[in-house]
Amino acid sequence: MKRSIIAMILVGGRGTRLKEITKDTAKPAVSFGAKYRLIDFTLSNLTYSNIDIVGLITQYEPYELMNYIGNGGSWDLDTIDGGISFLTPFSKAGEVQWQKGTAHAIKQYFSFIRQYQADHVLILSGDHIYKMDYQKLIDHHIAHQSSLTIATVKIDLKEADRFGILTFDENTMITNFEEKPKVPKSNNASMGIYVFKTDVLEALLTVSESEEIIDFGKNIIPKAIASKIPVYAYPFEGYWRDVGTYESLHQANMDMLDDPDFLMLNVSKGIQIYSKSMNLPPHIVLEDGIIKKSVIADGSIIDGTVIHSTVGYQSVVMKNARIENCVLLPNVFISENVILKNVIVNKNMIIPANYCCTPDQVTVLDVTNLMEVGVIDE
Amino acid sequence: MNNIFMVIDATVKGNFNQLTRHRMPGAMPFGAKFRLIDFTLSNCKNSGIRNVAIFPYGNYRSLSDHIGSGDRWDLSRRKDGIFILQPKNLNLKSEDSISFQRMYEHIEYFIRSSQEYVIVTPANIVWNIDYIEVLKNHCQQKADLTEVLSQDGERLKTFLLSKDRLLNYLRNYDDLQFRNLTDVFDYSPSIKKNTYVFESACYLIDSTKALFEADMALLSMDIRHQLFHPMHPIYSKETMSSPSRYGEEAFIKNSIVASGAVIDGTVYNSLIGRKAVIKAGAIVKNSVIMNQCIIEPGAQVDYAILDKETLVKANAIVNGTADDLFVSEKKQIVIGDEYLRVLQIAVECDPFVKTGGLADVVGALAENYSRLGVNSDVMIPLYPRIKEKYGILLEMRAEQIITYGGIRYKAALYSYQNRNTTYLFIESYDFFDRPEIYGYADDGDRFAFFSKACLAFIDVFEDKPNVIHIHDWHTGLIPLLVKQDPLTSNIATLMTIHNIDYQGVYSADIIKKVGIVDYPVFNLTINFMEIGLNTATKISTVSQTYHDELRYEYYSRNLVELINRRDRDFYGILNGLSEEINPMHDLAIKQPYDSSNVFEAKKINKQYLQKVMEIKEGQEYFLIGMVTRIVEQKGFDILIPAIDEFMSHPHAEFVLLGTGEERYMEALKTIERKYPDRMRLNFGYESTNPYYIYSGADVFLMPSRFEPCGTGQMIALKYGTIPIVRQTGGLNDTVDQYDLVTKKGNGFKFYNYDPRDLGFQLNNALHLYEQNEHHWQTIIKNAMASQFSLENSAKAYVELYRMMIESMKR
Repeated sequence: MKRSIIAMILVGGRGTRLKEITKDTAKPAVSFGAKYRLIDFTLSNLTYSNIDIVGLITQYEPYELMNYIGNGGSWDLDTIDGGISFLTPFSKAGEVQWQKGTAHAIKQYFSFIRQYQADHVLILSGDHIYKMDYQKLIDHHIAHQSSLTIATVKIDLKEADRFGILTFDENTMITNFEEKPKVPKSNNASMGIYVFKTDVLEALLTVSESEEIIDFGKNIIPKAIASKIPVYAYPFEGYWRDVGTYESLHQANMDMLDDPDFLMLNVSKGIQIYSKSMNLPPHIVLEDGIIKKSVIADGSIIDGTVIHSTVGYQSVVMKNARIENCVLLPNVFISENVILKNVIVNKNMIIPANYCCTPDQVTVLDVTNLMEVGVIDE
Repeated sequence: MNNIFMVIDATVKGNFNQLTRHRMPGAMPFGAKFRLIDFTLSNCKNSGIRNVAIFPYGNYRSLSDHIGSGDRWDLSRRKDGIFILQPKNLNLKSEDSISFQRMYEHIEYFIRSSQEYVIVTPANIVWNIDYIEVLKNHCQQKADLTEVLSQDGERLKTFLLSKDRLLNYLRNYDDLQFRNLTDVFDYSPSIKKNTYVFESACYLIDSTKALFEADMALLSMDIRHQLFHPMHPIYSKETMSSPSRYGEEAFIKNSIVASGAVIDGTVYNSLIGRKAVIKAGAIVKNSVIMNQCIIEPGAQVDYAILDKETLVKANAIVNGTADDLFVSEKKQIVIGDEYLRVLQIAVECDPFVKTGGLADVVGALAENYSRLGVNSDVMIPLYPRIKEKYGILLEMRAEQIITYGGIRYKAALYSYQNRNTTYLFIESYDFFDRPEIYGYADDGDRFAFFSKACLAFIDVFEDKPNVIHIHDWHTGLIPLLVKQDPLTSNIATLMTIHNIDYQGVYSADIIKKVGIVDYPVFNLTINFMEIGLNTATKISTVSQTYHDELRYEYYSRNLVELINRRDRDFYGILNGLSEEINPMHDLAIKQPYDSSNVFEAKKINKQYLQKVMEIKEGQEYFLIGMVTRIVEQKGFDILIPAIDEFMSHPHAEFVLLGTGEERYMEALKTIERKYPDRMRLNFGYESTNPYYIYSGADVFLMPSRFEPCGTGQMIALKYGTIPIVRQTGGLNDTVDQYDLVTKKGNGFKFYNYDPRDLGFQLNNALHLYEQNEHHWQTIIKNAMASQFSLENSAKAYVELYRMMIESMKR
């Protein structure tokens, strides 16, 4: 079935900078904002943009992610002639084809792209928090007869060494690109979201034995700009966060708490962020519950104090416990008299009674470090 | 996969005030995020049932929208799955439970289903049950029919039986004496019956009160554990609301909050639905707040059920009580105590002039508005009999020349003040200075003139009314006149239908005479009621069931399309009964009584009635009473053959007081001649006090073909006389069938307009009277405890007025 556009979602690396949070979970399946998973944002954007062919390239701990996405029905992506395909490593001629990087992964699955004879390929990441109508990006791409269009966002210059930094002219044509520069030339960062003409992408990926193609940022983009094909920027405005580290995961949760209209999640106009229903009853607040400036997901029971925190589904906060500036991932049990501040509590944790952990720097609380970072006050 | 298929009975309407205007009970929001039907469907999934049929009545859009393909409950299957089997015969009304006739419409479904057993269960029941356990019990007991009861012995209208047996009932439904499985269970003599008691929390939700109580029960940890179990969860439609959000000023205790809700105010003991917003400074207590409601700053909500998208404006106070909940309508805007002044316009009003129930309603509403502190006025024509009685108390307020049909008539306005109510009388020598109220050839002109005069005098008011409430056809032109005049066009109008059979059809000239210029007239005649119903802001009638019946041509005849077109603005509000009607304070009857001495007193009153009526005296006789006009509407076509047959019972007695059509009176006399010592007809209203019958008879009969509201059955109930009625109009809303198992109910009802069905209930009542004194005394107690408060009707109207004022602003 021919499509004018198909989407490929890259999951990227192991996510080691998220510490124990990704020990058995692919990055896109990490929980965010009490009830979401990171992948919800990208999948919901795709649905809104009417793109229904999606290849999801993943190799680390894919099981939970695949189980979560299922047939994509929760995002209306379970169409008859489209939907989500999981592209996991496979063995070819007796050798397992591990993906070495984002571009390498796309190259491996190019046959998937080819079968839909799409004119354009949209390359996305599975771990960004944002709302974006990709159709506008594609319109921009087509209007400029671009071979490659890179979505960009303005960032804080201090963070420039984490991103690919672009400069472009008044026509949005890209004039310079540097991956993770020490001295940035602008504050326009690549979001890791690209639209390629399919044949251009194929040509860029087709290389001699000696040349190594691993990453879009490191290899493909510089090569495209160098080869003088038309490469444009699509400046994006709005909230966007790449959750690559546990600090940024914590910060994104705090962003959600501080802005009552965060990403307009509660407004039924425009892009809706869907997530899979867990079939849980609503949360309940008991006699001694105190909740301020927080968000709470279904199935939780609150009888303690929750201040400026996000509480994942099926969590329990018992009497006299106090949670502040925390991110509780799903299914956490906070016993009586526990005091937590500035921590991310990993999913399925049971925090014993009288435990106290209030670091100044954000810390991930996991079974492996529970007694190292906090103490039980008797 | 197992051997059961499921019939979900969503035909029952229940008693939900406004909550079921836009949905059926199965689609009712429950527990902050669920719909009632989620429980039954989830139980099906968890019990492995894969073949489910839902039988809805009327408006099932909301239900079918919620269910979708059924995939949320694993019911989107290649074989079997979920079927919504719509009513084929739209004239079948909602009953207490699904009838064999209704199922027969889709008998193909039953034939095709491959499972051996079937469960019939309502859509509006909250529980977490394994149906397989019921089947095991049924088979162990080798039962033919198993009914499921709650641990308190409540009947859950849930039955299990073999498909073959059910098919047998369906195929023969026309010859059976049973309409549904409850009837079979109660009356069938020849089958093995079994009850299965479900020993866990369950709530059959058939009224607003039951909904509220079940919602509140969820606040108990124990009940939640019984209803929500991780191994068999309750599934619901997926939505996309964000997680619940709390603001800086949030203060919450003992409450359930669904996702998407935003809490920045104070919440105690409440359920907050999806995407509901409680703003800072708002207080919500003991309430059920459904999806997307907004409670603005300073507003207070206590003991309320707010339907979806209700907006409570800043500083508005919504105060219900545990016994009298405030219930909003979907998308209602609840405003603070803004200005409300209502003017009722009618052609009769108790105590000034009265020919029928209409005058009672107008008078009683005015009195109760006064009690509720609502400013109200009543306008009626000044008939000579009023002038005679109240002459010196009337104050002349204004005089005007009113032009009608090119002729100038003099009219005067008199007033009479009573507490918050001003009664206004319009005097016209030409139109109202006549001995009778109705029955003149120029009635059309008289009431058209009256309508015009009422509005001409509206300037007299210092505080103009913002709502005009008109009654029946006589004042039907008023909404049109109100709209036409820029001075009055901001006034909202409500038209109440008391009986749609009287419509006021007169010459089309009247339109021109009354001064209406731009109303298109296509015929030689105009219909006052049609014009009123077409142009009023909202319309209403005097009971919920009559409201529902008027959707069908059988009841609303030529106006059926109009009624259906205005369905969104059409309300049913039951008339109440005056508190003054009370057998304890009735000095006319032989022995006054209340519930403490009713059993002795009734015997004395019965004997007295037998004596006055000159029929055989004795408590062994089963005395049927009727007080009625003898007209077709009151059911005489089925009454006469049924009574003829029933009187052959040696202990049956029958007394009737009333007058009317000759043909029925003749037929009745023929029967009387057959049983001169057990039957007495008293034709003529004046001859005997009707309260002798209300206090002395054992049962009170009202087999009406239709009955918008009816007062006889309410009086009878107050007097502990058991009503036997047809399930229509207000009769259906005030009488509940007595149930032998639960001992609830205050009378007997039948559905079909058929002498056999009437006879069946007569025999049923007689049987109970003769065989089981305990049951009979329970019915009497239940009857006397029935509540028909006028204050509640008045409150419902005030609520409606407020909605109308708000809708005029939009």
